Amino acid sequence: MIDLLSYGAFFLSTALIFGIITLGLNLQWGLTGLFNVGIAGFFAIGAYASAILTTPEVADRIGGFGLPIAVGWLGAMALAGLAAAITGIATLRLKADYLAITTFGVAVVVQLVMLNAEALTGGPFGVAFIPRPFAGVQDQPVLFNALNLMVVAGVTLAIYLALEHLSRSPWGRVLRALREDERAAISLGKSARSYRVQAFAAGGAVMGLAGAVQAHFIGFIAPDNYLPTLTFQVWAMLMVGGSGSNRGAVLGSIVVWAIWVGSGAATAALVPGDWQARAAALQIVAIGVMLCLILLWRPQGFFGPRRGRM
Amino acid sequence: MSLQFILDGLINGSMIGLGAIGVTLTYAILRFSNFAHGDLMAWGAYATLALVSGIAALAGAAAPIGALSFGWPMIVAALGGMALTGLLALALDWLLFARLRDRGQAIIIVMASFGASMALRSLLEFLFTSSPVYYSRAIQMAMPVGLGIRVTPDQIALLVVTLALVLGMHLFMTRSQTGREMRAYSQNPALARVVGIDVARIVRATWLIGAALACAAGIMVGILVQIRPLMGLDMLLPMFAAAILGGIGSIPGAVLAGLIIGLSEAATVQLIGAEWRAAVAFAILMAVLFIRPMGLFGVAER
Amino acid sequence: MTRILDVQELVAGYEPGLSIVKGASIHADEGEIVVILGPNGAGKSSLIKAIAGLVPVTGGQVLLDGVPITATPAHLMVRRGLAFVPQTENIFPLLTVQENLAVAGGILPRATVPARIDEMFGMFPDLARQRRLLAGSLSGGQRQMLAVARALIVHPRVLMLDEPSAGLSPKFVEMVFARLGEIRRAGLTIVLVEQNARAALAIGDRAYVLAEGREAHEGPAATLWNDPVIAELYLGHRKAS
Repeated sequence: MIDLLSYGAFFLSTALIFGIITLGLNLQWGLTGLFNVGIAGFFAIGAYASAILTTPEVADRIGGFGLPIAVGWLGAMALAGLAAAITGIATLRLKADYLAITTFGVAVVVQLVMLNAEALTGGPFGVAFIPRPFAGVQDQPVLFNALNLMVVAGVTLAIYLALEHLSRSPWGRVLRALREDERAAISLGKSARSYRVQAFAAGGAVMGLAGAVQAHFIGFIAPDNYLPTLTFQVWAMLMVGGSGSNRGAVLGSIVVWAIWVGSGAATAALVPGDWQARAAALQIVAIGVMLCLILLWRPQGFFGPRRGRM
Repeated sequence: MSLQFILDGLINGSMIGLGAIGVTLTYAILRFSNFAHGDLMAWGAYATLALVSGIAALAGAAAPIGALSFGWPMIVAALGGMALTGLLALALDWLLFARLRDRGQAIIIVMASFGASMALRSLLEFLFTSSPVYYSRAIQMAMPVGLGIRVTPDQIALLVVTLALVLGMHLFMTRSQTGREMRAYSQNPALARVVGIDVARIVRATWLIGAALACAAGIMVGILVQIRPLMGLDMLLPMFAAAILGGIGSIPGAVLAGLIIGLSEAATVQLIGAEWRAAVAFAILMAVLFIRPMGLFGVAER
Repeated sequence: MTRILDVQELVAGYEPGLSIVKGASIHADEGEIVVILGPNGAGKSSLIKAIAGLVPVTGGQVLLDGVPITATPAHLMVRRGLAFVPQTENIFPLLTVQENLAVAGGILPRATVPARIDEMFGMFPDLARQRRLLAGSLSGGQRQMLAVARALIVHPRVLMLDEPSAGLSPKFVEMVFARLGEIRRAGLTIVLVEQNARAALAIGDRAYVLAEGREAHEGPAATLWNDPVIAELYLGHRKAS
């Protein structure tokens, strides 16, 4: 029972961290119509930024400034937001596809930097000893996980409220208007572009924050955490939840993560050892197919606003 | 400094260029960037492998042609693989892309291609596992050709094949009625219908050609390097970068840009280190987007 | 006289429930030039686009030589004998002049295409001289001629043009209309939508005035031009036109 509680808190924390990323994506795609296939990259930038800022000094690595966790989170948002802003500035005056291609490239390059810039990122082994909040109660798993869940839930709620507020603000109305009417957006030219860059950067910053929150939650990060599969998962979460709805983004994250973890546990229990890797591949096939089916039959998602996006 | 990188770059660039032709045609005619294009490449390579194995099982081992690492079954299998990849692309279009195309909203189609890419790639991992496989285990001796450059017979043969494919494509696009219709459709889809061009036929031709060339590129990677489910994903960024650098819709542009990227990658491997190779395409992509987004041979967007 | 094109009570529009063409009936007899006039927003352009299969048709029918061709997909219209020249973007700018003709000749038997292209060049010597240039480099008047040649190459029964004089200098307008007159003398039926009422009525045999999505007046071109009420109501100020 205790284990179950503890696991429940752990599960929910992970799911809500996905929820934060999905909220960031919803700002970019749901509200503004900007396509991002490099989510894993922006998420990783946040995680590494915060890790480098907050870890204690190590001999063979740049960074290790030992700063407070809050500073790490701010740094994560700033750096991921900056990366997103540059991506936006480079592509948002061009056709939508160029943004998609460039974000894909961002994720590739971030992956390379994580693997190869060992002096900064620790290479394939990543960064360890990332300070965890409430490390003092680590030996009491229920309490520890519960406290962490409160932090993650608090951040999720704060981002949720902030985005709800933003999307109802004049700023959010402009973004929606730009998304609905491509021609108006083009004729507005520079100012429309600047709105979109702002939205893309803000979404990137939210993803970066999610990366930082997760890094401090786990205490250890490595390039393997940030594979393209993560980007797929987040897209599936947003599409299931219904793009355009912040509530849907969070619910979709919990549902998809539950399906993912559940099917993972089922294959681990039922599939013989040498077929596990193949079963895991099939799990991803399922997500891909699901994404396509949603696009075909229910583009508004399951929890989204009634009015479809298409 | 060794000049070997020039040859390596040309070979690498040929594969990128062949793939980029499909990307650029898909973009110019079907109006979306197909994230599943790399996976067509991988599927083509595996389909060819399956056919080669099938032929070997039925007809027994065949002797290699001259100094090459492969014999006639490879050539038959390659043609079969290209046809199968074409059918796969048509099936994807029928199941997914055509339905979304009817609703407009190009970016939704991009997203669908992204989902399809993930499913296709993981399906390969499911079927063949993620460990690499090879068409042939034979080791080829590289011959010195002067200036410190060494080349294997396979490399020469595949460069010649690439050249033939590119020339053939160029002639097809400029001389054949279907090629002209494809160019016309990419310039003005509405007018194309008015002059009697059957759009469905153009769409089919685009998928068949793009997929067949992706398969050819995949086979080249398979012969010269190895076959892996992720091989297409790794080529995706260089192919996109080549299509954009060359100018969307331009086949000579895509090929030339592919060579430029291939050479830059090879130079990077030699000068900086192999681990940074994958960043080259991104650097070139960013440079093009900032300096000349229409690419080398592109025309300004209407 | 044989009735070539017969449009009966046509209803068409881009969105369901929002018809732009509201029950228009027009016809064209063999060898006739029929002019469609009307104020902006009367649905002239939508009417011929609907006939050409480019605007969804929701009611009525179109007969060509007595055969219904209503809502035939646009790319099959030329095969039925109905050629259409849009108002703008009516050539492929990145194909050469010759390729523009060849691409349109795709529906003819393959072996006959080169000879047919040469016939077109015989009719339009200006184009022949520029056959290897990209069509995008032609002047406005030459583009219009290329668009007409491109439509004629398939031996249509009816040639429909949407404002062929739009954006042309008076000299070219005269040239284009003179050309259309010649083409008609060769036996072709022409349906013409025009803002430039004077030039169009000068070569036209019969004209319709369209208002609010259907025909409001019909008559011989000459009488229509001289009818003071129609001139006042639909053709704008006579001094201005």
